Amino acid sequence: MSTVLEQIEQQIAKLSTKAVKKNTGTIRSVADGVAKIDGLSDVMYNEMVQFPGGATGIALNLEEDEVGCVVLGDVSQLKEGDEVQTTGRLLSVPVGKALLGRAVDALGHPIDGKGPIAATEFYPVEKIAPGIIVRKSVSQPLFTGIMAIDSMIPIGRGQRELIIGDRGTGKTTIAIDTIINQGKINKVGLASGDKNFRPVYSIYVAVGQKNSNVVRTIAALEAAGALEYTIIVAATAADNPANQYLAPYSGAAMGEWFMENGMDALIVYDDLSKHAVAYRQISLILKRPSGREAYPGDVFYLHSRLLERSARLEGKGSLTALPIIETLAGDVSAYIPTNVISITDGQIFLETDLFNQGIRPAVSVGLSVSRVGSAAQIKATKQVGGKLKGELAQFRELAAFAQFGSDLDAKTKAQLERGSRIVELFKQPAFNPLPIELQVAVLFAMQKSFFDPVDVKKVVEAAASLKQFFTTRKDALLTEIRTKAALDKELEAKLQAACDEWKASYSS
Amino acid sequence: MASAAKQVQQLARQFFQLSFEQGALSPERVAGVLAYVEKHRPARVVAVLKAYQRLVAAEIARNRAIVEHAGALGEPILASITAAMTKKYGRPIAGVAQRNDALLAGLRVRVGDDIYESSVASQLAALAAAV
Repeated sequence: MSTVLEQIEQQIAKLSTKAVKKNTGTIRSVADGVAKIDGLSDVMYNEMVQFPGGATGIALNLEEDEVGCVVLGDVSQLKEGDEVQTTGRLLSVPVGKALLGRAVDALGHPIDGKGPIAATEFYPVEKIAPGIIVRKSVSQPLFTGIMAIDSMIPIGRGQRELIIGDRGTGKTTIAIDTIINQGKINKVGLASGDKNFRPVYSIYVAVGQKNSNVVRTIAALEAAGALEYTIIVAATAADNPANQYLAPYSGAAMGEWFMENGMDALIVYDDLSKHAVAYRQISLILKRPSGREAYPGDVFYLHSRLLERSARLEGKGSLTALPIIETLAGDVSAYIPTNVISITDGQIFLETDLFNQGIRPAVSVGLSVSRVGSAAQIKATKQVGGKLKGELAQFRELAAFAQFGSDLDAKTKAQLERGSRIVELFKQPAFNPLPIELQVAVLFAMQKSFFDPVDVKKVVEAAASLKQFFTTRKDALLTEIRTKAALDKELEAKLQAACDEWKASYSS
Repeated sequence: MASAAKQVQQLARQFFQLSFEQGALSPERVAGVLAYVEKHRPARVVAVLKAYQRLVAAEIARNRAIVEHAGALGEPILASITAAMTKKYGRPIAGVAQRNDALLAGLRVRVGDDIYESSVASQLAALAAAV
């Protein structure tokens, strides 16, 4: 026995006197958040390096004579000749449920003044996306709470759906509405005690945005009670481009933790246009060759490797991505928009004209698509809204023709009337997502022509009255729709009776 | 601008390659390179010489083990360190002793970019960072 103890003592003695090996370099120059370093002969690509004064950096350019590092932190303390050390570690961020309800920076440090985060696990910021074997097809719906989207452009858990449009068309609002809706669904689901209920946790990544916008978003989520299920990763316009470049990957790492641990998560990248601009800035400072619109050659890979990390995994959870792209003058054929359109599984296109006409959310039905299709829809929505997209497309076509002629046949007039009512019905105020059961009830009423006698200008008012009627007086029926998720004959009869009752009370 | 910097680097690297004799840096060859530069004066001569100096300094550092010590360092210890480093790197390494009282006790060996540290000062620094 004493021999064993001696062996352990020897091992301890050997370890305590063991020399520590470090690989070092010296700063040759520092400019625009990028340090050029001599030495660091053992450094790896994407490895974290330690600067004096506690600042960290990432080795992004490994050249013959020097190493180019982006500095994450205060560069003002760094000077030529300072010693830099390799760490042997890839950049990692804290992950886990401890981050829920918190706002963090690109490195996972809290920025909300609520104290330190008690995270026990760390995930690398850069990770290879799941392969094809472990993936499962997208079939479970993720409700946005926006009727126009849930009924015509359904999103599934694990899908990547792009939100694209000009500035000020409501892109962020759609994303925030979706997060708020997840919060509402989580509350109802967790309170119900249903063991099969799978909550969706959200991650909102703000890249290059104004601080005031981020504060407004946090306030909106807090007011709606959704912040407790949400992580905010902020790399605002005031942050250096390195942080803006990293923030989406940090958010993805946080989302992956939920996915890997059998949970579902939603991640919003707001927005990837600014992310590409931040990456272009870094690349140009690193003197990487530039290509189209001065973006570096690997700008496609920048977004493809990020969005490929969203998936639904066999036997595990899912990570749904809602990347946002800002277009200029509605040009979807620009470099970054076409890249991201080709990577994602569909897009929600928002039009400035529709927005200015008061049609909000300004979803362009013709240009928006979900490649997952009705696989990510509950049966009830398919039953009441399956033909809506076609009807609306027909309406738009007819409306364009109707501008040139005054004489229209009765059928065309009826189609135009119905189309304009559907457009009115889909109008929805911001930060007010609708539960799916209520959407089914409203669409059922539309399908059964309950809104036909209502004047087009009063459809919004009538729809609000119907929603109020159902939420205040038909709660049991709504619960039944939610749990059954399909309309059988009995449920249809109940809905018909409820709509008749509403019609009588609304007309009087 | 970028291509001019590249040309400087390229020329410095060519001079550096010419400074070797039988796989080792030769002082005669370095003197020859300097004489050539003095005579022909290439464009951006100062930048070229600075880049050349960096390459030569890095090469010298690669083949030299600077052994910093706080207490006494006998010749046999220096010789054993030099032998160990020569074996580790697979090339002849020359040992140079340098006194550094800031280490408090122990040794720090630097070979090129690599530092092997077993000093009280570094352990105190690690402790301070952990607290």
